[in-house]
Amino acid sequence: MILNEEQLLLRNTVADFLNKEAPIEALRMLRDKADAPAWEPELWRGLCELGAPAAAQPEEQGGLGFGAMGMGAIMIEVGRRLSASPLLSSAIFAQAVIRECGSAQQIGQLLPDLLSGDAVATVACQEGTHFEAETIRCFRENNQLTGCKNLVIDAASADYLLVTALDRQGHLCIGRIASDAPGVAITPRQLMDGRQYGSVSFTNATVEEWLEGEQVVSGFARALDETTVMLSAEMLGGSRELLERTVAYLQEREQFDVKIGTFQALQHRLAQAYCQLELAAASVYAAMNALDSAADNLAQYASRAKTLTGDIYQHLSNEAVQMHGGMGVTDEMDIGLFLKRSRVCNQLLGDSAYHKDRFATLRGC
Amino acid sequence: MDERDLFRQEVREWLETHCPVSQRQPIVREEQIWAGSQATFPSADAQAWFEAMRDRGWTAPSWPAEYGGGGLDPDQARILEQEMARLRCRPPLYDMGLWMLGPALLAYGSPEQKATHLPRIVRGEVRWAQGYSEPGAGSDLASLSTRALDAGDHFVVSGTKIWTTRADVADWIFCLVRTDADAPKREGISFLLIDMHSQGVSTRPIALISGESEFCQTFFDEVKVPKANLVGELNEGWAVAKELLKHERKLMATMESITEKVDVGLVELAKSRLAVTDQGRLANADLRARLAEHLMQADALSDLNELIYRGMKAGQLNPALPLTLKYIGTHEQQRKDELMLEILGADGLSMMSDTPELDRMVRNWAYNKAHTIAGGTSEIQLNIIARRGLGLPE
Repeated sequence: MILNEEQLLLRNTVADFLNKEAPIEALRMLRDKADAPAWEPELWRGLCELGAPAAAQPEEQGGLGFGAMGMGAIMIEVGRRLSASPLLSSAIFAQAVIRECGSAQQIGQLLPDLLSGDAVATVACQEGTHFEAETIRCFRENNQLTGCKNLVIDAASADYLLVTALDRQGHLCIGRIASDAPGVAITPRQLMDGRQYGSVSFTNATVEEWLEGEQVVSGFARALDETTVMLSAEMLGGSRELLERTVAYLQEREQFDVKIGTFQALQHRLAQAYCQLELAAASVYAAMNALDSAADNLAQYASRAKTLTGDIYQHLSNEAVQMHGGMGVTDEMDIGLFLKRSRVCNQLLGDSAYHKDRFATLRGC
Repeated sequence: MDERDLFRQEVREWLETHCPVSQRQPIVREEQIWAGSQATFPSADAQAWFEAMRDRGWTAPSWPAEYGGGGLDPDQARILEQEMARLRCRPPLYDMGLWMLGPALLAYGSPEQKATHLPRIVRGEVRWAQGYSEPGAGSDLASLSTRALDAGDHFVVSGTKIWTTRADVADWIFCLVRTDADAPKREGISFLLIDMHSQGVSTRPIALISGESEFCQTFFDEVKVPKANLVGELNEGWAVAKELLKHERKLMATMESITEKVDVGLVELAKSRLAVTDQGRLANADLRARLAEHLMQADALSDLNELIYRGMKAGQLNPALPLTLKYIGTHEQQRKDELMLEILGADGLSMMSDTPELDRMVRNWAYNKAHTIAGGTSEIQLNIIARRGLGLPE
C-alpha cells in the first residue's frame, strides 16, 4: 500500500522532469494557444523517453513493471502540476482496454506502440454521463460502426479510437478505428480545464479490427476501473497541491496585523479538509494496491476512490478560492486552474453521485 | 515458511485451544472483564480465557516479558491482533492501566515503579482510574488546580478530579497535580500515582444521558501520597501526560473495537425494517446514499490505519497522519450511531426497551457522544492538526 524504493525513485524522477518541463505555466500557454493542441509534443516525447507510458505494464509485456502503484504515483505528480498529456487517455485507458479485451495477437501488435508512445489512442465509451453497457446505442454491422460518443478525451489528437459497441446479438465488442477514417466525425471542444475533448459520431465508419469475445465484458469493466483509479490519483495530487498552496498563503497573508492562518475558523476548516483528504488518499492507495494484487472487488475500490477524491477536490478547490480572497478569483492565480480541472475530473468516467450509487449497489444497500 | 508464518501458526493453534467458543463473539458491556480487586467474571469460560491470556502475558502482548508482558515485537503483536480478530476473540482484560498508564510508565517510570505496577496491571489485579480533568480544567487541562504540597517524605493532595471512569471501584488513580503554584501553567504540574484506598479519597458517580454512570467525580481531602509515587521529575508531569494522551487518542480512534461491539450491520438492519425495491435496494434513496457514504468512510479509515502502520514500518510516515485518527474515528462512530437511530425510527426512542440488543444500540448512541469530548475534544484535535500537522501559525 506504500511505494517501494523503486517506485519512490520513479516518482521523484517524474516530479523533477515535470517541474522543469511541465509546470503549471505550461498548461496556461497550451490553453491560450490559437490552435489549441491537446498536449505539447515535446513534453509527451520527454515523458515517453522517461518510460512513463510503460510504467505500469509488467516487464514480460514490454513494460517497466512499476505496477499500478508506480503509475498512480506518476498521476499524483501530474495532478499536482495539471500537466497535459495523453497519459490518461492512451497510456492508461487505451493500454488497459487492449490488454484486457484484445486477443494475444492484437496485444502483440498494438501494445508496443502505446508503451513507447509512438502511437496515441483514446477510448470512446461514454454516451451519457458515464459508461453503461446496457444503454449503448453504438452498433456493429459487419465491419462498420454507427452511433455517437461524447466526452472522448483527446479525441481529435489520437491516432485511433477504441469504441464500445454492441453487435447484432447484443454482445459488447470494441472497434478499433482510425480517427481520420471515413464516416468518423469528431467535434473537438476545449473544456474549462484547457484540455481537449471531443464528441464523435460514426456513420457506417469502417472499423480496422474488433476486440471481441467472452473476455470483453469483464475486461472492459476492469480497464474502466483501472482508469478510474488512475484519474482518482490525479485528483488526489490536485487536492494535495490546493491544500499546500492554501496553507502557504495563510502562513504569509496578513490582515488585522496578524497572519490570517492564526484564525481558528480557518484552521478548523483546513484541518477538517485535511482529514478528508487523507481518507481519500488512503482510498486511492488501497485501490492501486487492489489493482496490483488483482483483488476481486476492484469495482468497490475504484468507486470509493473516485467518490472521495471527487468530493475533496471539489471542496478544497472551493475553500482554496475562498481563502485566497480576491486573488482567488483572478485568472492570474493558479487556484482557478485547479478549480476548473476538478470540475472536469469529477465528470469524467462517472461523477461522485454515480460512483456512490454504484458503490451502494455493490454493498447491497 | 518464514519465522512470521511459524509464529502465526503457533498463535492460531494456541488461540484455537485456549479461547472458549463462548468468548469468540462480539463483546457486550456486561461481560467485559475489568481488572481490579473487585473484578468479577461473567462466566467460567470468561475467567478461563482471561487466565490463559494473562499467564501467557498476552493481556499486554508488547510489554517486556520481565514485567509479565508478552515480549512480542510489533510484527508479532500485529499477528496476534489479526489472529484474535479472525477468531473474533474477545479482549481478555479491560483496564486504563493496561491502555494508558503502562505505556507511560514504560517510558517514564523508575525501575521500582515498573517492577511494582506493571506486573499487577498485566495480571489484572489492580483497576486504574485516570485523574486529569477537573471541573475548572477541561480542554484547558494545564489550568488544573488540584494541589500536592511537599510534606517531607510525602505529598499532601487536595482538590477534585472529574470524569474519572469508574473511580468508585478503582484501586489506584494516576493524577496530574499542581506542585508549583507560581510556575507557568504547564511547568508546575507533576504526575502522581495515588492509592484509592488512602484516607481522604471519596467518589461520587455522575449520571449520564445514556442512563449509565461510568464516570465519577473524585475528591481528595488532604490525602497523604508517598514521594516514591511521583512519576518522572517533579514539575515535569506534563511530558508524561502528553505521552499518555497519545495512547488514549489512539485508543479512542479504535474505541469500537475495545468497547461494546454491537455488530450492527446497518445495511441488514435497514433492509429488515424499511421498504426495499424490486431490485432489492433500499427504497429511501437519500438514506441509501448516506449509508454508502458511511461505508466508504469506514473502509477508508481502516485503509488509513493500514497505511499508517505500513508507513511507520517503512520509516516513511508523515507525522501529521496519526493526528487525524481520533477526530475521524469518533465522528464516524457517531455518524453510524445516528444512522442506526434513524433506521430504528420510533422503536429507537425508548431507552428501556424489552429487547436488550435494541436497548444497547440506543444507549451507545447516547454514550458515544462522549467520544468527541473525552481524550481531547474534536475542537482541540482540529487545533492540533492545523498547527502541528499543517504548520499553521499559533
